[in-house]
Amino acid sequence: MHKGENVVDFLNSLFYGFSIGLQPDNILFCFLGCLLGTLVGVLPGIGPVGAISILLPATFRMSPISAIIMLSGIYYGAMYGGSTTSILVNIPGEAASVVTCLDGYEMAKRGRAGPALGIAAFGSFIAGTLGVLGLMLFAAPLAEFGLKFGPPEYFGVVLLGLTLIAYLSQGSVIKALMMGAFGIILSCIGLDHMQASPRMTFNIMKLWDGIGLVPLAMGLFGISEILINIEKTRFTEILKTKIKNLFPTALDWMQAKGAIVRGSILGFFAGILPGGGAVVSSLLSYGLEKRLSKTPERFGKGAIEGVAGPESANNSAVSGSFVPLLTLGIPPNVVMAVLLGAFIIHGIRPGPLLLKDHPDLFWGVISSMYIGNVMLLILNLPLIPVWVQVLKVPYRILFPLILLFCLIGAYSINNSSFDVLVMIIFGIVGYLFRKFDYEGAPLILAFVLGPMVELNLRQSLIVSKGNFLIFITRPISAVAIVLSIILLITSFLPYFNKKR
Amino acid sequence: MKNLRDKLSGLFWLIVAVFVCLESARAGTGAFHNPGPGFLPFCSAVILGTFAIILIVKSILEREEALNFVDLWKGINWIKVILVIILLLIYAILLPSLGYLIMTFALMVFLFGVLGRPKLWVQIMAAFITSLVTYLIFYAWLQVQLPKGIFGF
Repeated sequence: MHKGENVVDFLNSLFYGFSIGLQPDNILFCFLGCLLGTLVGVLPGIGPVGAISILLPATFRMSPISAIIMLSGIYYGAMYGGSTTSILVNIPGEAASVVTCLDGYEMAKRGRAGPALGIAAFGSFIAGTLGVLGLMLFAAPLAEFGLKFGPPEYFGVVLLGLTLIAYLSQGSVIKALMMGAFGIILSCIGLDHMQASPRMTFNIMKLWDGIGLVPLAMGLFGISEILINIEKTRFTEILKTKIKNLFPTALDWMQAKGAIVRGSILGFFAGILPGGGAVVSSLLSYGLEKRLSKTPERFGKGAIEGVAGPESANNSAVSGSFVPLLTLGIPPNVVMAVLLGAFIIHGIRPGPLLLKDHPDLFWGVISSMYIGNVMLLILNLPLIPVWVQVLKVPYRILFPLILLFCLIGAYSINNSSFDVLVMIIFGIVGYLFRKFDYEGAPLILAFVLGPMVELNLRQSLIVSKGNFLIFITRPISAVAIVLSIILLITSFLPYFNKKR
Repeated sequence: MKNLRDKLSGLFWLIVAVFVCLESARAGTGAFHNPGPGFLPFCSAVILGTFAIILIVKSILEREEALNFVDLWKGINWIKVILVIILLLIYAILLPSLGYLIMTFALMVFLFGVLGRPKLWVQIMAAFITSLVTYLIFYAWLQVQLPKGIFGF
C-alpha cells in the first residue's frame, strides 16, 4: 500500500472515530467520566482503580462504547484532578501526583498557586493530546503485528508482563513477587478452563465461577483505603491563598515547555511498558527534569518544571498504557487490568482483532480521549473553586457514602451478596497487607494475567504435543522469555549489592 | 523485636503455600509436558513458599527495623476499624433476608456516627435520605435488582 493511501486510511478512521465520539450520549458519558475522574483525583483516598471498580456495575446498561469511554475518562480525568490536591493541600489526590506536591505546594506557599494549577492543566492537556496521537500511530501497526501471535507468543509476552511485577512494587521485590504468586493462585479458584474440573472451591458452589475481579479490586483498593483512613483522624488543611493568574506567564512557559515535551514523550513510553503507568512516569519525569536542569537546587523549592514535567508525564502515560491493552489484550498496569475486566464484562475481548472486529469501539474510544482532554482543560480551571469546596467535605460524611457505593457496586455485578462478602473479606485482607507492607497492585495484575498464562501454556503444549521447545523455536516467545529471565535476575541485583 | 512483621507474614504465607500445594495436588498437577488443573496453582504456591522462606530468613538475618510491629498499632483508632468491619460483615450476611432499605438505613445510622458525634436525629435523617436516594437511583432509575428481603422492599 502507498504511503498516501495509509494517510487517507488513517484520516478516514480518525473521522469515523469522531463521528462516534461526538454522538450526544458518548459526549455525555465522556463528560461524566472526566468529571468523576477529576473528582476522585481531587479526593485523597480514592484513586482511579477504586473509582473504576466502583462505577463498573453502573455501566452494565450502557453500550460497550459508552461504558469504555466513561471508564477511560475516569482514568485520565483523575490525572488532571490529582494535581489540585497536591498543590493546594500538599496531599497527593492520587498516587501519580505524589511528586507534584514537592514543587506545587511550594509554589502555592509563595503565592503562585494559580500558575502551578495552570501549568499542571495546560501541561496535562498538551501531554494528553500528544499521548492520544502516539496511541493512534502505534496502536494500528502493533495490532497488525499482534495478529502473528499464537499461544506461545502470548505465553512469552504475558510471562514478561508477570515478571515486570517485580518492578511494579514500590517496596520489597520479594513481597511483590509473593503477591504476584498469590494473585495467580486466587485466579485459579473455580472451574479449570480446559477440563472444567473444580479446583480450590472447597465444596462451595459459589466459588465455581471463581473470584470476581471487581469485588477483589474494590476490596483491596476501596475498602482497605477507607479502613486505613478511619483509623486516624485526618484534618485536611487547605492552604489559605488567593488563586489568581491561572494563566502562566511567558517566563513560566519558557521554563516549562521543555519539561512538558519531555514529560509527554517519556510518559507515553513508560505507560506502554508493563509495570509502568502514570505513577512511574511522573517519578521518572521529575528525576529527569532535576538532572537536566542547570539549577537543580530550585527543585523542591517551587520550580515550575517540577510541576509541568510529572503532570505531563502522568497524562501521556494513560494514553501509552492503552496501547498494549487495545492491541495485544495485555494490561500493562493495574488500572488497565480492571479496564480489561470491563471489556470482558461487556462481551469484548481486546487484542489484535479488536481493530478489525470493533473499529467503532477502537476509534470511538481514541477520539473520545481527544474530546475528553479538551473538556478537561475547559472544565478544570473554572472548577478549581468547586474542587476546593469538595475538599472541605468532612471525611465522616464522605466515607459512609463511598462505602455504600462499594457495597451497591459489588452487589449489582451478579445480584449476589456473596460478592459483597468477598469484597469485604478482601477489604480486610488489603488493610492487613498495608499494615504488613504488601502491595495490592502486583496481586491484581497477576490475577488478570494468570489465566492468560495458563491457557496459552496449555494450548501451546497441546499444539507442540508436550514439547517445551515450542517456546524457544518461536522468535517472539523466545525473546520475551529471555527478557523475562534477565529482568527477574536484575530485579534481585540490589539485594546482592546490599543497596536495598 | 526483630522484623516481627516479616517473620509473621512470611510464616503465614508459608502455611498458605503448603495448603495450596496440597489442594493443587488433589486437583491433579498432571505431567510437565501435559499440565493438569492443579499445575499452575502448584507452581505458584511453590514460588510463594520459596519467597516466604527467603523473607523469614532475611528478617532473621537483617538488623532491627526502625518501625516495629507494636508501633503499627499505636495511636490508631483500631476499635473503630474493627467496628466498621463488623458492621459491614453483618450487612453482607443479613442483606438477602432483611432487604436493601432496612439494612442500608441501619448501616448508615451507625456509619455516620463512627467518626464524630452528630446529634442522633441528624444521623437518622442522613441515613434515611442516603438509603432512599440511592434506592431511587439504583433500583428505580438504573434498575439494579437490589435485594427485597422478607418484607418485600
